[in-house]
Amino acid sequence: MSGDLLQGRLIVVVGSGGVGKTTLAAALALGSAKEGRRTLVMTFDPSLRLKDALGVGEAAKDGPIRVVEAGPGFLDAALLDVKRTFDRLVRTHAPDAAAARRILSNRFYRDMAGNLAGILEYMAMERLFEMQASEGYDRIILDTPPTRQALDFLQAPDRMMNLVDSKAIRFAMDPWWEDAGRKTLALRIALKGAMELSDRVIGRRFLLDVVEFIRAFAPLFDGFRSRAEEVRRLLQAEETRFLLVAGPGPDRVPDAMFFLRKLQETGHHLGPILVNQVHPDPGAAAGREPGTVLLRFLAERDQRGLRLLRSLFPGEKKIISVPLEPVPPGDLRTLGLLFDKLSKAAPD
Amino acid sequence: MSVLDRIAERQLVVVTGKGGVGKTTLAAVLGRLLADRGRRVLLLEVDPRESLHQALGTEPSGGEVVPAGPGLSIQNLQPGAVIEGLVREKVPIGYLARKITESTAFHQFVEGAPGLKETALLGHAYRVLQAGHRPRTDLVIVDAPATGHGATMLAAPGLLAQAAEGGQLGEMAAGLADFLADASRCGVVLATLAEEMPIQETLELIALLRVKLGLRPELVVANGMYPALSPGAAPAPGAHLWQARRRLNEAELSRLAAAWDGPLVELPLLPLDRGPALVQALASLLREADP
Ligand SMILES: Nc1ncnc2c1ncn2[C@@H]1O[C@H](COP(=O)(O)OP(=O)(O)O)[C@@H](O)[C@H]1O
Ligand SMILES: [Mg+2]
Repeated sequence: MSGDLLQGRLIVVVGSGGVGKTTLAAALALGSAKEGRRTLVMTFDPSLRLKDALGVGEAAKDGPIRVVEAGPGFLDAALLDVKRTFDRLVRTHAPDAAAARRILSNRFYRDMAGNLAGILEYMAMERLFEMQASEGYDRIILDTPPTRQALDFLQAPDRMMNLVDSKAIRFAMDPWWEDAGRKTLALRIALKGAMELSDRVIGRRFLLDVVEFIRAFAPLFDGFRSRAEEVRRLLQAEETRFLLVAGPGPDRVPDAMFFLRKLQETGHHLGPILVNQVHPDPGAAAGREPGTVLLRFLAERDQRGLRLLRSLFPGEKKIISVPLEPVPPGDLRTLGLLFDKLSKAAPD
Repeated sequence: MSVLDRIAERQLVVVTGKGGVGKTTLAAVLGRLLADRGRRVLLLEVDPRESLHQALGTEPSGGEVVPAGPGLSIQNLQPGAVIEGLVREKVPIGYLARKITESTAFHQFVEGAPGLKETALLGHAYRVLQAGHRPRTDLVIVDAPATGHGATMLAAPGLLAQAAEGGQLGEMAAGLADFLADASRCGVVLATLAEEMPIQETLELIALLRVKLGLRPELVVANGMYPALSPGAAPAPGAHLWQARRRLNEAELSRLAAAWDGPLVELPLLPLDRGPALVQALASLLREADP
């Protein structure tokens, strides 16, 4: 049985780049479908690896695509193109078409909104929230981007609320520079000074772009605020599990620890930890042949990594070692085989 | 003129590639090799989880410059700290500077301004290279962050220059963009593994650098190659895994070679942990292979 592996209605797969998150997310999702669950796997990896692994095309960027039918269960896959999601949200929430156009064509939005305080991670969470609220799925497995920023997910709702409530935004919304008459002389001078300073340093056009963006965007804020709270609740819910994928060997342990600490600090529920691409024991080969020496070193190194992680998390039974496959799993058949191995390795 | 000869003439070398492919290790290897040639080298690491110091066997930097052998020092740099340092410099009144750096607006700006963080880091490298700077530095090697595409960092000053046109910030960024575009002073080295996704991303990165920035990498390093099994070797248990990984390496390497006609070096997976011995061994191999 798959033991702890498939627990929760929402499984968020996190970890550093290059450790195999996408592959493991796909394998787990396939396993979940075969166990009879209506399953959706979502990724918003910019390189959209899942596309190849599951054989779904560009169309999966617009909505979920059916990958496998398995009796009562099935597997759908959706690819998140963050910019597209954002654009769509703007179109849905903007009061009218003209307002939507104003936002979408704003220079600041085009260059910069992508970086703005995790706004895109937030958009991804919105999309996830919609999907899980749709009741069409028993389980959603989310593959996060291949960086530390994966954890921006956790902060996305807070940051969004911060942004909406921030002084900078209220400042921009209040047309103080157009209505200086209301202000005291001292305040006027201070504001003028601040304006001149930022004008000199940052450039007027840039400032105006920002202000225009915030004003155009403001009608959307109220909706965001209430949703941000719900998204946060979803991430901290009992039925949401964070499954960490780590690379093999002691050198990768600090990376894993970073994620684990962060998740625990923020009160999220930890699922199993998968240490991926562990070199198998090459057997009792006695040779001094360089190949044998290297394989023995790698197997021993990876075991050292596992021991270190287990010692740092004593009593943690959920650290699962996933062997390095000779050929990387990249289609439904090999993903299925990988899932079978995972289930066997997982403690019940 | 060999590739290392050419790289030794640069002032700034950015080592990039996706996470876990050996970027930090390669940056350390290049630092060692170029310092051995008499250049005064500073290695800048951007990842907040430091590992460069382990590769070279020094204390962690924690933001300070730490000596790492003759002609070589390392520094771990966080963009936030660099930007706050700049604010303190521009706003000499401590109270006011603190007010600014503690404000939400400032943080939103730092997070949101396109390319600001990356520009600040490259700007720091640029300042270190100026004649008046102490200690004197001839060459800065940047171990680029693993986040996003390596091209993001190199494109940042140009993007910021455009967004903030007309202000001091924009002018500074434009100056930096010109510096980066000067192939006689700045170079890019790509690190990759000969596996499907890293090679795919390397090919995309090479194309992106060419199209967006007119840059051509000085060198591509295929790291962590399973060495070829010697022909007579008895197939040890595990030989199946070995052969499959080696075949994968070879296939992916030829895919790279078909699309990249510039300098390419293979470095083997060595039975050594992160540390000076690994860096030393890879440095000798790279010196021998120097195309
Ligand atoms: N050629 C090599 N042989 C053996 N181990 C290597 C080699 N290159 C890198 N490593 C190891 O791989 C791990 C990741 O390397 P690192 O340089 O930290 O990658 P990055 O900076 O790209 O994340 C480290 O443990 C490092 O010691
Ligand atoms: Mg690194």
